[in-house]
Amino acid sequence: MGQAVISFLSSVKDYGRKEIGPVDFSVEKGEIFGFLGPNGSGKTTCIRMLLGLVRPTSGRVELKGLDPLKNHVQALRKVGYSPELPNIQTFLTPSDLLKLTASEVGLKPSEVQREISTMLETVGLAEYVNVKVGKLSKGMIQRLAIATALMGSPEVLVMDEPMIGLDPAGTAHLRDVFRDFAKGGGTILLSSHMMDEVEDLCSSVAMIHNGRVLFKGPVAEVVTQVLGEKELVVEAKGVTDDCLKSIRGLQGVIDVRTRDGSIIVSAQKDAEVRPKIAQLIVASGAQLYTMKEGERMLERAYIDALRRAGP
Amino acid sequence: MRPSVVLTFMSYEVRRALARRKVLIFVAFTILLDTIPYYILSTSHLTVIPASDYPYLWVAGVFAPLSFFIQFIAIFIAAGAMSEEYEQGTAEMLLSKPVSRTEYFVGKFLGGYFLLFCIVVLNSLLSILAATATFGNQSSLSIVPGVVLVETYASLLFYSVAFMLGELIRRSSISYIFATAVYFASDLAGLYISIVSELTGTNSFKVIQMYIPTSPEGSLSLQYAISNLPSGAARILQFISATGPVEPSTIFSALLIGAYFLVSTAVALAFFSRYDVSKKVG
Repeated sequence: MGQAVISFLSSVKDYGRKEIGPVDFSVEKGEIFGFLGPNGSGKTTCIRMLLGLVRPTSGRVELKGLDPLKNHVQALRKVGYSPELPNIQTFLTPSDLLKLTASEVGLKPSEVQREISTMLETVGLAEYVNVKVGKLSKGMIQRLAIATALMGSPEVLVMDEPMIGLDPAGTAHLRDVFRDFAKGGGTILLSSHMMDEVEDLCSSVAMIHNGRVLFKGPVAEVVTQVLGEKELVVEAKGVTDDCLKSIRGLQGVIDVRTRDGSIIVSAQKDAEVRPKIAQLIVASGAQLYTMKEGERMLERAYIDALRRAGP
Repeated sequence: MRPSVVLTFMSYEVRRALARRKVLIFVAFTILLDTIPYYILSTSHLTVIPASDYPYLWVAGVFAPLSFFIQFIAIFIAAGAMSEEYEQGTAEMLLSKPVSRTEYFVGKFLGGYFLLFCIVVLNSLLSILAATATFGNQSSLSIVPGVVLVETYASLLFYSVAFMLGELIRRSSISYIFATAVYFASDLAGLYISIVSELTGTNSFKVIQMYIPTSPEGSLSLQYAISNLPSGAARILQFISATGPVEPSTIFSALLIGAYFLVSTAVALAFFSRYDVSKKVG
């Protein structure tokens, strides 16, 4: 087990009308961890507890092993945060905001200008350095918030819906930024509704609903745990009905169907049926092109988990 | 507490306050109040002001706005300092960085207070310039720096109270209303108690009046002026404050203002340190 950078230890926030928690999960160093859940499920409250903005009613939250309320400055050092729909004073320019952030994160004056240029370049706002925030689009403000999070070479990024408002190119660019960050040993807690992004980027996830963590763990494990089955997508040419029938008869196969010209095989989560399917297809004289795990499985698992959890 | 971070928040707060129209409107009113009356008085050929008072007419411009506009500006700057950050959801961005709540609190408090100091300086300079331009050279200007400091210190009372209300209520409009209500209620109560005290001759009313917030705030600068200005300026001071200082001494006024400041900021800081940084409201 690696070193936990973020830990929720039976953390509870009781708002009176609504209670979030107890939340228990941890994020290890170098991990991109997806934090999933519908609106109002408690994701942002958990993030705010993590950043020391909200005091847990019971339990603990640790950031780099420190209590973010009692040791706010030490715990938040080298931690970047980008909120969902960031609110930034409209009279500031990106340059002003990043200067303010540079001062907050303790950058040396000699490094500030270079860091600001690098960050604005990274998020594609170099041309807007002196434009008032009030005149920037939502997507630009989102990117600016990400730039503030990246200031001062952080080791941990806490991203609350960072992709909202970004165009596809911006999203792809940000995905690369996150991947590079994690490759360099950085840790990311990524709260998002975009399941394909999470599935693509994250190694582990936690799913929260009505303040309770429904599932947590590595993405593949969570998917099979929730769905109770796995899905294989087979691309092949010349597959006969008899062959499909044979596949359906394999031990561990639950269902076989076709979708958009592909063969979709649902199998029990522990059953390793791929070699047998390949064998049957090749033996039938058909041509097998690819066989891979089904896509958007996390999304299916997410929807399924929410459906089972009820309103 | 790191001075560099406090300075960052101070500078941020000055810019933030200046970006708000309400504060700028009050500053514009102060400028008009400092200049227009002098112009009117000098061109209307009124004989109510004896020529012997001309060298001290700056006193009217420096002291008169203190009782009203400067207090309002103090309230407007302070009541919004914390509350507007909650309303706009901007506190979250600022406090999710490695800065302590105390640094943020002190920086914002001092930033707004520094702006208030600048406005008091502006008020004094404009009054002196306007008086000089309209009524000739002014006298006893050596006490102006002291007056500015005393006025700024006196304004600390309502500044602190409004700052506290802004933090406790976390809604800027309601905070302005409450802080302004405290000011007016205090002023009216002071007047009422003073009348009752005069009519009944009861000393206990005067004691109550001494502790009302507007009493030390209004008394301190007058006490300073009375003890430092020549008797020639007495008529002007009397015109500004018919009742004169309520407090028995300068020290007592200063201590009361200090007490109000300490209690208000301690309550606000305790509340801010203990409670959650609320999400965008309003």
